[in-house]
Amino acid sequence: MRLELRWSEVRELLAGSATRLVGPRLEVDLDALRAQLAADARLGEIRLDLVHPGERCRIGRVFDVVAPRARLDGEDFPGVLGAVARAGDGRTLALAGVSVVTTDQQMDSIGTLAVIDMAGPTAAMSPFGATHNLVISAWASPGTGRSEYLAAIRLAALKAAVHLARAAREAGPDRVEVFALPPSPRVPAELAHLPRVAYVFQIHSHQRPTGLDEGILYGDPVRRMLPTIVHPNEVLDGAVLRGFMGRSVTTWATQNHPVIRSLYAQHGRTLWFAGVVVTVAQATEPERVRSAFQAAGLVAHALGADGAVFTKIGGGAPHVDMAQAASQCEALGVKTTVLVEDMSTDGSAEGMLLFDLPDVDAMVNVGSSHEPLTLPAMDRVVGADDLVPRLIGEVATTYGAVCGAIEQVGATAVMAEVR
Amino acid sequence: MEGKPVRVVCFVNQFFGQLGGEDKAGIGPQSMDGAVGAARAVQQALGDAGTVVATIACGDNYAAEQPERAVSELLALVAAAKPDLLVAGPAFLAGRYGVACGALCAAVQAQLKIPTVTGMHPENPGVELHRRHVYVVQTGAEATRMLDEVKRLVALGLKLVRGEAPGAPAAEGYFPRGITRNVVTGASAADRATAMLLDKLAGRPFASEVPRPAFPSVPAPRLVKTLQGATIALVTDGGLVPRGNPDGIEALNATRYGAYSIEGKSSLEATQYDNPHRGYDTSWVKQDPHRLVPVDVARELEQSGAIGKLHETVYSTVGVATTLAHSARMGAEIAEQLRAAGVDAVILTST
Repeated sequence: MRLELRWSEVRELLAGSATRLVGPRLEVDLDALRAQLAADARLGEIRLDLVHPGERCRIGRVFDVVAPRARLDGEDFPGVLGAVARAGDGRTLALAGVSVVTTDQQMDSIGTLAVIDMAGPTAAMSPFGATHNLVISAWASPGTGRSEYLAAIRLAALKAAVHLARAAREAGPDRVEVFALPPSPRVPAELAHLPRVAYVFQIHSHQRPTGLDEGILYGDPVRRMLPTIVHPNEVLDGAVLRGFMGRSVTTWATQNHPVIRSLYAQHGRTLWFAGVVVTVAQATEPERVRSAFQAAGLVAHALGADGAVFTKIGGGAPHVDMAQAASQCEALGVKTTVLVEDMSTDGSAEGMLLFDLPDVDAMVNVGSSHEPLTLPAMDRVVGADDLVPRLIGEVATTYGAVCGAIEQVGATAVMAEVR
Repeated sequence: MEGKPVRVVCFVNQFFGQLGGEDKAGIGPQSMDGAVGAARAVQQALGDAGTVVATIACGDNYAAEQPERAVSELLALVAAAKPDLLVAGPAFLAGRYGVACGALCAAVQAQLKIPTVTGMHPENPGVELHRRHVYVVQTGAEATRMLDEVKRLVALGLKLVRGEAPGAPAAEGYFPRGITRNVVTGASAADRATAMLLDKLAGRPFASEVPRPAFPSVPAPRLVKTLQGATIALVTDGGLVPRGNPDGIEALNATRYGAYSIEGKSSLEATQYDNPHRGYDTSWVKQDPHRLVPVDVARELEQSGAIGKLHETVYSTVGVATTLAHSARMGAEIAEQLRAAGVDAVILTST
């Protein structure tokens, strides 16, 4: 499989009479885009805002962030937006410097919602504080249920992401990034000495059951999914989306997957990237045990890996689930490293982990989302009209409230250090 | 603080304060002007950055035999000197001295709101007692490299006075206090994981970024009776509560638990219960509470005589992101009540 990401740099984002890319300036026909999004009967009022790096603006009620991408040789976000078809092979338009932010106008428990700051120290903590952002605020039409609403606002973000990226169709890319990985067993003789490394990617946690329209893997809500092998390019090219839960996980980070990028960067030099196993964190012990040994079996026996990197998604049960799968790998002689969150809720080092497995001894941590953090005052709030009085001034919150500051897949350089 | 010399008070024992040896260990707290004895090394390390305005000394036995009184008297002497920083010790491997240094630092930080720093050998009992609250710099066992070691104490102390965040324990030389703090490293977590895996694969040393938890292992006690004669209680951290959640048990990070009577109930009616737990899919338990708290089966066992008696109170809390401290406290309190009620064994259902 060979994926070309054809990148265009965007340095300016503004409303225009047509959506087009003129050099580094992206003009967006907001009326046309709004009309396209309004075709979804699950949505009523829709508002689109443009916000920019350096602006004293806070985006509230952040639900998910999507990177603008449009495929030239296949379906966009297959199974969710486009028809079910393979992704990961061919050419895909990609815009750098722009993100699509979709907001959740229903959630009452605002402590669970994230923000993005466009200026000040909290802007520097997140990649989305440095991109021009198209912010979608959409309200449910009468009779739309919670899960349908979330499906609709996520779909709106995907449509907008494709709409923006298609503007680069006529422009030549500023740079082309190639992701090419031959079928796993075919290692050239001169590289056969390299250790084979797999990535085990937990893509959902059954702590909360998925909605029927909560497509995560090629549109499948992964309700009965057993560990399975995918090509890393499929992940980068829209086959895997974030479900409807949780902070510290964005679709943007999946589209720019840091572990996959890291393994690709070393591929053929210090390691051989043997492939990706996707898993789901299970809800019951027999399911967890089954998933752990099956994932380990795929890594060791099907991919023939010598080593594997693991990430989790969600809270405590996924943390343990991941560790059990890693332990099963170690039992089969596969060396592992796991990316963990600091799970302590009171900042004590003894609460960082929820497991104690002697063979899972190589841990990288992605930081503590519970660490207290004060957001500075801003001049403007978008995406959360009803919360302006609570969000415009200084806000006492936690690290995890800043969308993009901590990603469970390890996108940022933050680490919780024991002091 | 720039330009203004820092006012430092030093705390020493009778020996390092040049008041005498073990024969003077009973001597009470006293304040001497300027840098005396070991405090002269602190003045030397400070250079122009600060002045040791007073050296406060106390005998080891006096501090060890009446610790509360000693600390309160020492605190008054420290306060009188109006320092910006307290440097206590270093105490090296001297146990009574180390414990006194740690206790005084903790009290000064809390009462006078000024930074403190002390130094000890890893085996000094003062380290384990105080490192969670006080910056304790690691030193050797004896005062053979006094000036070098005092320099590290002073460097850390000056940072604290200036309000600068100290670096990592390994870099600054202090014992980890067991608290976590987010820092920005030079590489993404994903890149760090790849690098760590390559080190592990190659058999090179690697440093895990999370310490192994030191949970004490609790052996399960043996049931000394037969089940037929035993009183059995049901306890859960799966979050079952009566409708309305009367104790307000938190959905996450719980600090409370509830005790709920099942007297006269042969089963639990789903409509009378709820579940605030945010860590798992509670819909099945809400549909049938026995999936979490099996009162129905336990009553059958009671009826058939397979168990002696079912305890009439069910204890419940929410076990998700609960701190170790609250878990241990709630567990101890529940165990205390169960024991007082004559319960012999517990079926603890978790999720």
